[in-house]
Amino acid sequence: MPRLILTFNKQVIKEYPFLKDSITIGRNDDNGIIIDNLAVSSYHAKIDKVGSDYIVTDLQSTNGTFVNDQKVVSHKLSHGDNIIVGKHVILFVAAEKGTEAEATDQKEKLDKTMMLDTAKQKELLAKQQVTPKVPKPLEKIGVLSFINGSELGEIELKKKLTRIGKGDASEIKLSGMFMGSTAATISKRPSGYTITFAGGKTKLKVNGEVVKDSVALKDFDTIELGSHRFQFYQKEVKPD
Amino acid sequence: MLIASSGITNVGLKRGSNEDCYSTEDSLGLYVVADGMGGHQAGEVASRIAVELINKSFRRWVEQEAYEHELFGYPDNSVTIHGNYLLSSIRLANRVVYEMALEHEQYQGMGTTVATLLITPSRIIAANVGDSRIYMVRDGHIERLSKDHTIVAEQVEMGVMTEEEASSAPLKHVLTRNLGSAENVEPEIFEIEPSNDDRLIICSDGLTDLVSDREILEMTQDVEDPENLCNKFVEKVLKRGAHDNTTVVSVFLTDMKKKTVNPLSRIGLPLAEGIGNIQKVIKKFKS
Repeated sequence: MPRLILTFNKQVIKEYPFLKDSITIGRNDDNGIIIDNLAVSSYHAKIDKVGSDYIVTDLQSTNGTFVNDQKVVSHKLSHGDNIIVGKHVILFVAAEKGTEAEATDQKEKLDKTMMLDTAKQKELLAKQQVTPKVPKPLEKIGVLSFINGSELGEIELKKKLTRIGKGDASEIKLSGMFMGSTAATISKRPSGYTITFAGGKTKLKVNGEVVKDSVALKDFDTIELGSHRFQFYQKEVKPD
Repeated sequence: MLIASSGITNVGLKRGSNEDCYSTEDSLGLYVVADGMGGHQAGEVASRIAVELINKSFRRWVEQEAYEHELFGYPDNSVTIHGNYLLSSIRLANRVVYEMALEHEQYQGMGTTVATLLITPSRIIAANVGDSRIYMVRDGHIERLSKDHTIVAEQVEMGVMTEEEASSAPLKHVLTRNLGSAENVEPEIFEIEPSNDDRLIICSDGLTDLVSDREILEMTQDVEDPENLCNKFVEKVLKRGAHDNTTVVSVFLTDMKKKTVNPLSRIGLPLAEGIGNIQKVIKKFKS
């Protein structure tokens, strides 16, 4: 059974198995593949199973239907074809049938790493005079908010690695008889912010629990280093 | 801090050529893995040039102790100067590969991933573009220090797809960022403080397609030295069909202090000291 993979701005939105003999694509609710976007007509295109072939047909849509870089009225689909409807791209993945070799060949094609060619897509979209209104995801930045009347107030964690302690190398300086030169570090990692105990006789506590190595930080965790108490949270910032 | 490292690359069982490339440069503390793409040997060219250029420009900047404004591209204030040397080296390699691909017809469409690791006395710095990964094994846990630039990984990050769905998704090899396909590239970069006995793995997707994070953790904990680990990873992917080229670089950090301790300390420090004293006496006696 072939599949249709709906993508938008390089993101996969949904996968549709081709279950019936025909599937329609459009903005209206009664389409098989519904795309709620003004660049897409109410009934934009349809795909029909004809024998063992699959044919895409443009339903006289306003902005047209493209397969790869060609504007089409009707087109026989092959494995890996990109059907472009407005700003959305639908990838046609053929059923894994036919000869064994053919099937492996297809699989190998998908196994191979490839780079998405967005230049061509952009070109096509420009021709259609559709202004994309893609909101750029906001970046999150960690903030330490000092609780007990410290003059430090709020500190944004702008570095990938922030050191906290008494020493000169520490970005956040905290006093205390037993405070380590670097008492703790906070690093921004692929999984999020992590706090690590670094040294000294002052204990590091997160939500009251002593931390001896590392722990992931969640919003509104309370961190204690000796008499210093602060809360961690993340706020959204506009990317540069 | 002592660093032990090893690297290996293997063509696998299905591909006719190896488009991966790597380098291990202990004198710089710099380790690189690149997985090239593009027909007619262009993939091999892209990955080799990227590895060579990153090493070359990084070395030059470190030796000159270059200032941030002398580097390639805007300095990133969220990382150290060494982090900026690494970022700039990757950006420069990107520009060269990109321009080569524009100028030479046979190199059209070539590109490569890069995963780079820099070890300094105060930092572990990991930077990457594409889907080659960097793992850190510490205190019995495994953690990624790289981000995959694939459609599927972005879906996972957005919460649209689970890790499990991602590993079997048809588009999992489609990259959203690589080195050589655009004039400018912004690598992902992370900095953390090194810790005793950290073990780091840099690898191409030939490994991660067939071996899970959990298995990587277990295998990394099971061995004594990085060379052995690299060999074990390649044995594993070959056993599982090795449909792609596989490259692994392993870097083990050990604390200098531990290494200088008398090996006899295993039988108890006082006893070791006692024996040491006896040895000294014997030496004196002999001379």
